[in-house]
Amino acid sequence: MIQLKDITKVYQTKTIETTALNNINLEVPNGEFLSIMGPSGCGKSTLLNIMGMIDEPTTGVVTIAGQSVNNYHSKAVARFRNEKLGFIFQSFHLINELSVIDNVELPLIYRKASAKKRRQLAEQALEQVGLKNRMKHFPGQLSGGQKQRVAIARAIVGQPQIILADEPTGNLDSVMGNEIMNILLRLNEDHNTTIVMVTHDEMMAQKTHRLVRLFDGSQVQ
Amino acid sequence: MFSNYFKLAVKVLGRRPSFTAISLFGISFTLMILILLAAFLDAELGEEQPLGNRDELVFVDRITMKLEVPDTTWQVDSTLVNGQMTYDSTEIITTSNRSFSSAMLSYSFADRHLRDVAGAKDYSIYSPTFNYDLFINGNKLTFDAVYSDERFWDIYNFEFLQGRPFRKQEVEGQAQVVVLTQKATKQYFGTDEDVLGKFMEIDNKRFELIGIVKELSNSKGFLSGQAYLPITTANPVVLNNDSFQGPFEVVFLAGSARGKEDIRQDLDRKARQIVMPNPEQYNVLELQSSDFLSRYAFSVFPRRDGPDSSQRMLFIVFGGLLLLFVLLPTLNLINLNVSRIMERSTEIGVRKAFGAHSNNILLQLVFENIVLTFLGGAIGLLLALGALYLVNDSNILPNTTLRFNVSVFLYSLLICLVFGIISGLLPAWRMSRIQIVNAIKQNQL
Repeated sequence: MIQLKDITKVYQTKTIETTALNNINLEVPNGEFLSIMGPSGCGKSTLLNIMGMIDEPTTGVVTIAGQSVNNYHSKAVARFRNEKLGFIFQSFHLINELSVIDNVELPLIYRKASAKKRRQLAEQALEQVGLKNRMKHFPGQLSGGQKQRVAIARAIVGQPQIILADEPTGNLDSVMGNEIMNILLRLNEDHNTTIVMVTHDEMMAQKTHRLVRLFDGSQVQ
Repeated sequence: MFSNYFKLAVKVLGRRPSFTAISLFGISFTLMILILLAAFLDAELGEEQPLGNRDELVFVDRITMKLEVPDTTWQVDSTLVNGQMTYDSTEIITTSNRSFSSAMLSYSFADRHLRDVAGAKDYSIYSPTFNYDLFINGNKLTFDAVYSDERFWDIYNFEFLQGRPFRKQEVEGQAQVVVLTQKATKQYFGTDEDVLGKFMEIDNKRFELIGIVKELSNSKGFLSGQAYLPITTANPVVLNNDSFQGPFEVVFLAGSARGKEDIRQDLDRKARQIVMPNPEQYNVLELQSSDFLSRYAFSVFPRRDGPDSSQRMLFIVFGGLLLLFVLLPTLNLINLNVSRIMERSTEIGVRKAFGAHSNNILLQLVFENIVLTFLGGAIGLLLALGALYLVNDSNILPNTTLRFNVSVFLYSLLICLVFGIISGLLPAWRMSRIQIVNAIKQNQL
């Protein structure tokens, strides 16, 4: 379960103070598929980043699977991210110099898994997203939808409990977007994976269990 | 993990070929220079024959005589106390040099005063300063001759290609025998085969060739000649010269590093105890002693304060050159690496999001830099081999052969590694500390 208590995020420059999130309280139970929606700049991605412990709140506490985060730079948090979380980004963020299979193996490298085990798990993950036949290809040789499927494979290869997806269909056309959404829904149904997804797409959001709306950093629904 | 890093390192090199080319050029050129320098130092200061005992040698090659007289000066300080001027005068007694003479030693001085020196296992008196014109078939050859005793061959481990050195009985018996270098043998006899037992004429005397030694490099100038002759065959006027100064020097073989210190201290003590023959002319005697390195430094940077001062100068100059050749390219590489690594901030952010800790990132980036540096090192090695061949072939350094040996190779590997770590560390450290969310946002489409 993810628990956010009194989360505030303030960006401070020399002259301006911007409140990106204002006193957010949110709980995401295990196995839920949650959507977060709102206009641009309302703090959706900031909220997702804080949930994923890749950004620090100014105030408030993040608790994931019963563990509160204190030091965002510690090895323990890095290990926690590696074991419990998977990320899917709008721009895919694959490493172009590595092949598809090497990209998917990435989280397992930091788990110190053996090369054989890494390869086995990566192939399984690619099979789940229907791209096993492309494992020797490079990201430059793939379409947008295929890249996002590789990113999903990378996110699930370590069998995380939680997947955080930041506009996973934002750079894709509707056909590919539906394909991706179906993969995520299948993951949630078949493996009870908790998924939190930021999206602009109302139709996609309606397919999830719950929708949270943000406006100007505050939760409105 | 490392195979993954290696794959990525190789791929990253191809991402920006111009950056990679500049980096590789910087590394390889610098390493080529450093390998050449290391090979040169190895040839000059290494333990190649005949200086196998290099670290146990103490040289006395200079005797300095001075006339020091007391010099009295008065210093008067005036102060106004209670309206009255008071004067405080101080007598300052110093010494000043009225005359000064510095030269090599005479044989009689060395033989009389420097036989029993504390700490010395062995010693040898020799003179490296004679040269003779020899005429062969109408052609003039100038040979540098070294006159030495038999102990010379025990202290310096010359490599004999044929024959043997002269022995104690031959020195005592003033036997007219000679040892030549291989090149000198070929120059005089036209060949170095079947020449032992043949005679040559030096200083109007016939000498029998009994040994042929390997050529020495130029830096061993203080004992490298073409011909080596028993000291007792030198000009009797020179040998029997009663004064302190002459054309000879002495080398002591210590048993240990501690022995070297004992030798130098005993030499200082003896210098103070020796009675000067003409104290009105010179009343102070100093013996200039040095170990091999300071002796070499003195030959490169002769300083009035002596070999120890020259050695300091040598360290400063070589240290400065090394710093120049290592520091400048390293700073350049750091600069290049900063921009290369900053381009990859998104990748770093993604890695951290998926569980990489700062240390993992640091290790990866330093590893990639080491790969780049070793690649540059391999190219530098090839360039250096080519340069060594060219230097030796062109004879820029006469009588000196630069070799690429194991120690040179290991030094260059070490330099590669240090290079790789230093030039990658700072930019990698900066990048490893970057916040994940900020790293991912950079370079975002």
